[in-house]
This record gives sequence, C-alpha cells and structure tokens, in this order.
Amino acid sequence: MPIHNLGYRPWKEKLTRPSSRWRNISASGVRLAQKSLWVKRAVFAAWLPVLYWGLGFFVIGQAMEGKLQLNDGGNRPVVQKAFDAVEKQLKKVNPMLVPTANRLAVASILRRQFRKVPKVEQLASALESGDEMLARNRIWCWLLMTFLRYPQGILILFLIGTIAPALIARDIRSKAFLLYFSRPIGKLDYLLGKFFIPATFIMLVTTLPAMALYMFGILMSPDLSVFWSTWDVPVRILIGSAFLILPTVSLALMFSSLTQETRFASFGWFAFFTLGHGAWWAIVFSTAIKKGMVNSQDLPMVMEEPEVKRWGLLSLYNNIGEAQSWVFGFSSWQEVMPSMIVLLAITVVSLSITYRQISSPLRV
Amino acid sequence: MQPLISLQNIVKNYRRHCALDGIDLEIKPGITGLLGPNGAGKSTLIKMILGLVRLTSGSGTVLGHRIYKDAKKIRNDIGYMPEDDCYIPGMSGVEVVQFAACLSGLPAVEAMRRAHEILDFCDMKQERYRAIETFSTGMRQKVKFAAAIVHDPKFLILDEPTSGLDPEERESLLKRIELLYRDSNKSVLISTHILPDVQAICDSVVILSKGKVRLDRSLSSLNATTEPTIEVLLHQTPEPFITQLSTNGLSHELGLNGRMTISAAVTETETASAESGGADLTDLVWRSAAASGVTIEWLRPAKNSLETIFMDTVQEAARANS
Repeated sequence: MPIHNLGYRPWKEKLTRPSSRWRNISASGVRLAQKSLWVKRAVFAAWLPVLYWGLGFFVIGQAMEGKLQLNDGGNRPVVQKAFDAVEKQLKKVNPMLVPTANRLAVASILRRQFRKVPKVEQLASALESGDEMLARNRIWCWLLMTFLRYPQGILILFLIGTIAPALIARDIRSKAFLLYFSRPIGKLDYLLGKFFIPATFIMLVTTLPAMALYMFGILMSPDLSVFWSTWDVPVRILIGSAFLILPTVSLALMFSSLTQETRFASFGWFAFFTLGHGAWWAIVFSTAIKKGMVNSQDLPMVMEEPEVKRWGLLSLYNNIGEAQSWVFGFSSWQEVMPSMIVLLAITVVSLSITYRQISSPLRV
Repeated sequence: MQPLISLQNIVKNYRRHCALDGIDLEIKPGITGLLGPNGAGKSTLIKMILGLVRLTSGSGTVLGHRIYKDAKKIRNDIGYMPEDDCYIPGMSGVEVVQFAACLSGLPAVEAMRRAHEILDFCDMKQERYRAIETFSTGMRQKVKFAAAIVHDPKFLILDEPTSGLDPEERESLLKRIELLYRDSNKSVLISTHILPDVQAICDSVVILSKGKVRLDRSLSSLNATTEPTIEVLLHQTPEPFITQLSTNGLSHELGLNGRMTISAAVTETETASAESGGADLTDLVWRSAAASGVTIEWLRPAKNSLETIFMDTVQEAARANS
C-alpha cells in the first residue's frame, strides 16, 4: 500500500454550478486537441498572416499621415507620383484642399494594386470623401474583413477539419457517451461543450489576432481620439467571427455525429466545403470564358453579375464572406440576405441533427 | 428501512420488443446483486434508473428523486461503472478520473487531488499517467471504478465490475466494494454474470428474466436449505464412511475436491427440529465418522447454491412464458 494511500474518504465540498459543467467538456477537449502536432502547426501558421496585415495597418496609416511614401516596384514612389498629380489639380481648385492629397493617393494605390480584392472600390470612395475619421474606420474594417476572409478563412478549413471530426465520432466509437451521460450532464451541455472546442481554436486564430491588429492600429495612431472613430471595429470583429464559427463548427460536428469513423467525418467536411466552392468557381470560370473576360482582374466583376452571384450560395466559404462583408459595412442587408438564410439553415439543420444523434446511442 | 430505489409497474418498450414488463421493485440499503440471462433487461433497468431512457409507463423514485424527471439529481448522487470500455482516447488514467470528477461538479484542482486519492485507494500506481488506450482490461476496470466513486456518490451501480480481472484483482475489488458499504455506507447494485461474486458480497439478490422480476430476496433466506444438510470434507477415502452413513439412514452426494453433502430423509416433525440447529444430523455424522475411522477436516451446514437458484428461476420463467 502506498504511504500516501488514505483509503476512501468522503467528499462534501461545494460543487460547481451545473450550468457551467459544459466548460469542463470544452476545456478537456481543447487540452486533448492541442496535443496534436498538426493542430499546433496550424495555430502557428494561422498567426503568420498577422505580421503581413500588421504591416498593412502600419503602412497605410503612415501613408495617410503623409509620413511614408510607398513604392510600387518602379523607381518612383507611387504615393509621391499620385500625390503630385492630385496636388497639382487641387492647387488649381483650392489650395486649402492640399492636405487631403495623401488620402487620395492611398485611394489611387488601392484601386490600382488591390483591384482583385472585394469591396476595394467602396474603400477608395470612403478615402476620397475627405472625412478622415470615416476613412480610417473604413480602411481598418476593410483590412480586418480581408484578414478574416482570406488567410484565416482558408486556414480554419484545415483547422476544423483536423479537430472537429473526431469530437463526437470518437465518443461513439469508444463508448465515452456513458462517461458523460451517467453524470449530471444533459445533451445541451454536451453539445455546447463539444461546440466550443473548435470554436476556441477558431477564436484563437481569428478573433484574437484581429483584436491584436486593432490594438496595434490604435497604438500606431497619432492620438487616442482614433478610438472614437473606430470603437465599432471590435464589435464587428466579434460578430464577423461568429459568422465564421457558427455554420462551420455546426456542420463539422454534424458530420462527426453521423459516424463512428473520424476519417468519414473529415471526408464529409472537406467534401462539403470543396464541392460547394468548386461548383461555384466552375460557374464563375465558365461565365468568364463565355464573356471573354479571361483576365484574373476581371473575375471580381464576373462574380458580381446577378446570374453568377446567385450560384455563390452553393459555396459555404462565399456565404460566410458575404455575411462578413455586411458585418464590416461593405454590403447592404438586401445584398447578403440569401447568404444569411443559407448560413442560418446550415447552422440550424446541423445542430438539430447533431442534437438528435447525440442521444441515439443511449436509446438502444 | 426506507428503500433507495422504488419502482412501480415500470414498462419499457423498444418498438415491438418489451424490455421491461411491469417491474415492481424495491432496493434497500446494502449490496444487491442484479442477475439475469442476456437480454433479461438488466442494462435497460440500469439506464432507466440513471434516467437515460424514457419510460413507456410506470413510476418510481431513486434516492427520493423522481425517475427520469429528476435525472440530473439522480446522476449527481449515483456512481455508475459501465460494463463497456468507455474512455476518451488520448487521456491518461488520472485525467479520465479527474474529468469524471469535473463533470460531477468538483472544481478542477480539487478534482485532480481527489482523482489521485481515489486511484491510490484502487491500488493504481504510476501507470495512472499512461494513455488509457494502452491499459490492460484490468487497469481499465480500475479506472472505471475510480471514476464511478470519485465524486463520493451515495449509491453505486456497477455493471460487470469484475469481468476481465485476474483472481487476485477480483478479490481486491470485491473487498473494496465491501469496504465502501461497511465503512462509508455506500449502497451498491451489482449487475453481473459471475455468481460467486454475488455469493461473496451481496446481501440480497434480484433476478430478472424476460423483462420481469422473477426473484427478489435476501441472500441468507435463499441460502437456507429446505431440509437439514451438512457439508463435510474428509481426510481419508470416503468408502467406509459412506457405508456407515447408509447404515445410519443418511443419504449423501459427492462434490468436488473430496467434499460431501449429507442429508437425511426426514419427516416434517424432524424438519422442524433440524431448523432449530440440525443437531441430530450432526451427531449422526460424527458417530458415522468415528465408527468408520475417518477424520473429518471440517463440517458445516450446507447452503443452497446460487447457481441452482438462478438456473431454477430462469427455467421457471421460460416455462411460464412458453
């Protein structure tokens, strides 16, 4: 008998609140998931784009302040080039307008260099409006929207594909259901607990770096008054992250609950994502070829055409992008409503199926 | 004595199959064995007690809580050790027990301390830090048992607790269960196919068959034989002793390892005398041994075998159904 064996002793301390027990499921799931080397790599890789976007915050901010001149690869600085042209015109109209020349120069660069990025035209217009507070707000929102949509949106596809498929499938296979449900744990606690495992990782690679970028932007600003013109940005980040998390995690959990084999759940997740998106891209390309718009710069215009845009509903990735574009103020509600309905339907149907599947092993 | 579990006319149907058919049962404090052939409804009964399956009809209480409606309260007070290997791959043994404690409401740090304490009690050493999927069956049984008692439940439900254990481990586990009842007043319901386990530690037995309770009695009353019977073990060859027994009008039956069961074909009046101690029969056996010159190593009143009781009950149920 070990020297520290005290035998069986009763335990009569205060228990945690029943409503918080799902957190134990999440916490242990996160601990288990982070043991995977692939997950560690994915999280590390997910933070790399922050450096690039941080540089974007810095460069555009400095350029707007007129402290930095950008170079487009040629010998002449592009800001200076654009600035000179704009300044010449403004001096003719009204010399008092000259200080706005930097913003106009940045708008000019965005139009030329970032034509392929969605909503860049709206951003350039905001910069041209002359309202510095509005311009800063728009540019930050645009940077963060593209950050959530491009590097992080694609990375979470792999991150969720690595973490979520095992969550319920593994419990069914190893009969761990009884470990949960022989305790004072309900189906909703279980579902919440499982949901927040991938959700935590997504927040770690999207919400947290986006917030860090926002803080970086605030710190790089000339004074703290910038906060008043950008206070809504963190709220938009949170809502934008929610639009990313809710449908993707619900869908991945549903695939996990439908099988005992993790690989089938992974296959289901990747197939749903890539088939939908692939189908939409096939439609975009075929339309572009039909119209002779084969230049990659023209594709955003093809995507905006009504007969092509409606097929975008097939792509989960595109629907999330549309929703985020509304969240960050670059699209109207009417424009994104079909995508919102699709996302809502995916979330509700997936969660309902998962909820039903959770109890099925107990019914036999 | 207030019953811990009280069930009235419980019916559970799975589509056309009736798993529980009007169960009326009271389980009192102590160690109760739940026996029954495969498909008798034991697992359904346990799931029903835990509130995992909805009843088709009937009502009942578990530890004073309404069945199914107060499922979470019931599960708070019950420790359940499932028959199946239920574990979360990737966790170590101690992490599984800590996780079970956290799910029952112990704060995380306290849960880890308690998990170690309980694993010490279960005699699990450094292997507790290994991933659970690398555990042997015996070690997994220990972890499941530890997870069942880590939150200090009032009532334990153990489903096949000794299956897959070697004799030494089995003995230890049964001792632990007895200890929990004797020292900590934990009542236990053991569902098992291993009848000697029930014989060793249970106070009462419930036998289920075809979804009905066929027998619900204390083990001591079941063990009592209908006629005075004595079991002896001899040192020498039994032939002269057997001849002497026949001369004295006693019948005998040879058992395993030289054991012998001796009884007398007695009248009703003599039965009454035997129930008061069976002294006449004992006296006759001693006299037979002395006359035949054999040495009796031990002599004790014989008990009804649980196996016989179980088989009789199940066969009777089958006959009743046919």
